[in-house]
Amino acid sequence: MQRIHIKKKWLPYLLILPTTVLICVFKIGPIVTSISESVQSSKVDGFTMVNYKLLFSDKTFWNSTWVTLKMNLIMIPLQIVVAFVMALLVNAKVKGITVFRTIFFIPFCVSLTISTVIWRMLLNINDGVVNSFLGLFHIDRIGFLTDKRYALLSVILICSWRGCAYWMMFFLAGLKAVDTGLYEAAKIDGCGFFQRLFCITIPLLKHTFLFVLVANTTANFLLFTPVQIGTEGGPLGSTNVLMYEAYKAAFSYSNRPRSSCIVVILLIIIGLICIVQNKALAGEG
Amino acid sequence: MKRRMMSLLLGVTLTATAFAAGCGSNGTNPEGNKGTEAQKPAQDDAQGDEKGDAPQASGGGQTIKWLTFGPGEDNWEGLTRPILAKFEEETGIHVETECYAFKDLFQVIETKFAAGESDVDVCSVDVTYIAKYGTSGYLEPLDSYFTEEEKALWDDASYSAGVWEGTMYAAPENTSAQVLYYNKTLLDEAGITLPENDAEHRLTYEEVAALAKQAQDALDPDRSKGIIGLDFQQVSRVYQMNMLPNSMGGANISEDGYTLDGVINTEPWINAMTWYQDLVKDGIASQGYDADGVASQFYAGKMVFIVNGTWCRSRMECDDELGCTYAPCFEGYEDQVATSTGSWYFGINSRSEKKDAAAEFVKYFTLGEGSDMWLDINGDVPSRLDRQEAIVNDPDALPEMKIAAYEAANTAYPRAVTPLFGEYSTVLNAAWEDVRNGADVTEVIEAAIDQYESAVAASQN
Repeated sequence: MQRIHIKKKWLPYLLILPTTVLICVFKIGPIVTSISESVQSSKVDGFTMVNYKLLFSDKTFWNSTWVTLKMNLIMIPLQIVVAFVMALLVNAKVKGITVFRTIFFIPFCVSLTISTVIWRMLLNINDGVVNSFLGLFHIDRIGFLTDKRYALLSVILICSWRGCAYWMMFFLAGLKAVDTGLYEAAKIDGCGFFQRLFCITIPLLKHTFLFVLVANTTANFLLFTPVQIGTEGGPLGSTNVLMYEAYKAAFSYSNRPRSSCIVVILLIIIGLICIVQNKALAGEG
Repeated sequence: MKRRMMSLLLGVTLTATAFAAGCGSNGTNPEGNKGTEAQKPAQDDAQGDEKGDAPQASGGGQTIKWLTFGPGEDNWEGLTRPILAKFEEETGIHVETECYAFKDLFQVIETKFAAGESDVDVCSVDVTYIAKYGTSGYLEPLDSYFTEEEKALWDDASYSAGVWEGTMYAAPENTSAQVLYYNKTLLDEAGITLPENDAEHRLTYEEVAALAKQAQDALDPDRSKGIIGLDFQQVSRVYQMNMLPNSMGGANISEDGYTLDGVINTEPWINAMTWYQDLVKDGIASQGYDADGVASQFYAGKMVFIVNGTWCRSRMECDDELGCTYAPCFEGYEDQVATSTGSWYFGINSRSEKKDAAAEFVKYFTLGEGSDMWLDINGDVPSRLDRQEAIVNDPDALPEMKIAAYEAANTAYPRAVTPLFGEYSTVLNAAWEDVRNGADVTEVIEAAIDQYESAVAASQN
C-alpha cells in the first residue's frame, strides 16, 4: 500500500520530467544564457550594463524597435480580424464547405520560408506576376519589397497570408463549441446577424480571442524569416525588425552581447504586452 | 513536502540545463580570446620540422571536409569535382564538400568556427575576412606548411593579402580583375559598333551607359523583353560597387579601418552613387535582381554590357557572341581608373584534427596540379606568377585574361582593410541596394556612417 502511494506520488513528476527537461534545455536555458551574455563584456569583469547603454545610444536599435512595434500594431489586429472573418465564413453550413476550409488552411501548410520565396517572386519589380497584372492597367511597376513605402506592408501581407490561415483554425474550433441553441433562441427573439455576432459569438469566444492575441503577439514579435529572405531589413531599415537586428548582431557582426541584449529586450516587451492583454481580456470570464 | 520535492526536481533540472548550455558555449577562454587554446596543439602539431618543411602525404584513406560556397553542378561544387577526384587519386585523401550560397557562407563559418567545431578541415575564405578570422583564432597559421620558395610562387599582392600581422593564415586560390563584357550579338542587332578603345583610352561609364540605352531603344523599345543595358555582376556588393567611387578618387574606409565619416560622405561617393542611381532610374541598370540574378540575365543573353570577372565566359548559357574590353572610367577622372580585385583563399580550421591532410589539399589546389585545373576550368586570374607570365606571353590567351593581367598590375584597387569587414560589408551592401532602390543618396550615406559607427563602438566594448 505504502509502495503504491509512493509510486502515485512520484508518477506525475516522472511524467512531466521529459517536458520539463526539454523546456529547460530549449527555452529556459537559452533565455538564461542570453541574459547572462547581455550583462557581460570582454572589457569589464563581472556584471555590467555597458551593452545596454551602448544599445540604447544606437539609432539603428531605436529604428528597429519602432519598425517592430509599427509592424505589430498593424499586423496583429489585421490577422485577428481576417482570421475571425474567415472562420465565420468556413463555419457556414453549406454543401462542400470542407473544401473551402481546406483551401483557406492550405497557406499554413506551406512553410514560411517557401511562402516568402514565392511571394518574393510574385512581387518582383521586374517580372513579378503582381506587377505584370498591374501593368495591364498601365500602373507603373511597384517595388513592393524594394521601395521604402511598400516594403513593410508587403512583409505584413506575406506573414498574414499564412498567419490568418493558422489563427482561423482556432476561431473555427471556438465557433464549433458555441451552443447552436443560443443562435436559434436569438433568431426567434428577432436578433439579426450583427446582434448575434456581437452579443453571442464574440463574448463566447473571449478566451479564444485571448489565446490568439497572446500567441499571435509572441509569434509576430519574433518574426524573422520574411525579413531575412524578402528584404534583408531594407530598404533603408524600413523592415529591420528587432529579431533581424539580433540575428545580424550575432551572425554577421559576431557580437553576441548586443544580440543577447536585443533578445532580452524583446522578451521583456512581449512579456509586458502579454500581461496587459491578459489583464484586459481575461476578466471574470 | 510536495513543494520541496518539486523545487528540488526543478532545481536539478535547471542545473543540468545550465551545465548543458555551458557545454555548448563557444570556447571563449576567461580572457575572451577565442581559439587560442586550439592554436597551441596546432602549433605543436606543425610537424616538428624546421619552418617551411612541407608535410608529407599522410592522409591515405582519410576524409577531410571543405567548407565552401557555390552549390550546384554549374557552380563550384560541380566545377571542382574533377579536381577533388584527381586529388584523391593521387593522395588517397577524400575531400567532402559542404557548399553554401555565397551570402550564407560567412554566417556558417562564423557559427561553426566560433563554436569551436572541428568537423570542417578546410574552408574557403574571402580575402577581406582573413584579418578577422586570423585575429579570432579561427584559422591555423600556415607558415609551417609552406616553404619560402613556395610562397614566392604567388604574386606579392596575393600572398600578402593572406598574411595578417606577420602570420600567413590563408593561401590564394586565385585573384580577380574586372572586365567590361558585352553581348556582341545584341550590339550587332542594334547596329552599334563600339568606339575604338584601349587601356590608355578607355570607354567612359557615361559613354557605355549611352550606348547601352541606345541598344535598349533599338532592341526593346517598349521594354517588354526586359533587356538590361548595363549592370554590375556583383550588384549591391562592396566588392564591385566600390570601384565606382574608387574610380572618382574615393577611398573605401579610413586608414585605421574604423571610420566611414569623411570617407563616404565625400564628393566621389555622392557622385558615384548618384550616377548609379540615375542609371537604374533611367532603366539602363536593373532593379530587383540580386547578384546571382543579374549575372544570369547576362548569361542568358538579356543584357548588353556587364562589368564582370573573368569567369564570365565559362558561365555563358546562350550562344550569343561575347566581346570584352577594359573596365570603363568616369569622364574627367581618366587618370583614376580603379578596378576591384582580390578573391578567394583557402584556410585551415584551427580546430581541425586532420591539419596535415588539409594542408596537402590546400597546397594541391593553390600551387599544384589542382591549381592548374581550377584556373583552366573557372577562367580565374591566377595568383601564381608562372601562370600570369604564361598569359602575357601566350598569343592565344583569351582577350579578357590579357585585360585582367593588365588591370591586376595597373588599376587594381584593394578592398577595405578592417577587422570589422563583416560589419563594413553588411552596412555598405545595404547602402548600395538602397541607392539602387531610389533612396536619397545623402540619407543613405549618413545612415551607413551611423550604423558603422555603432558597430565599431559595439565591437570595441
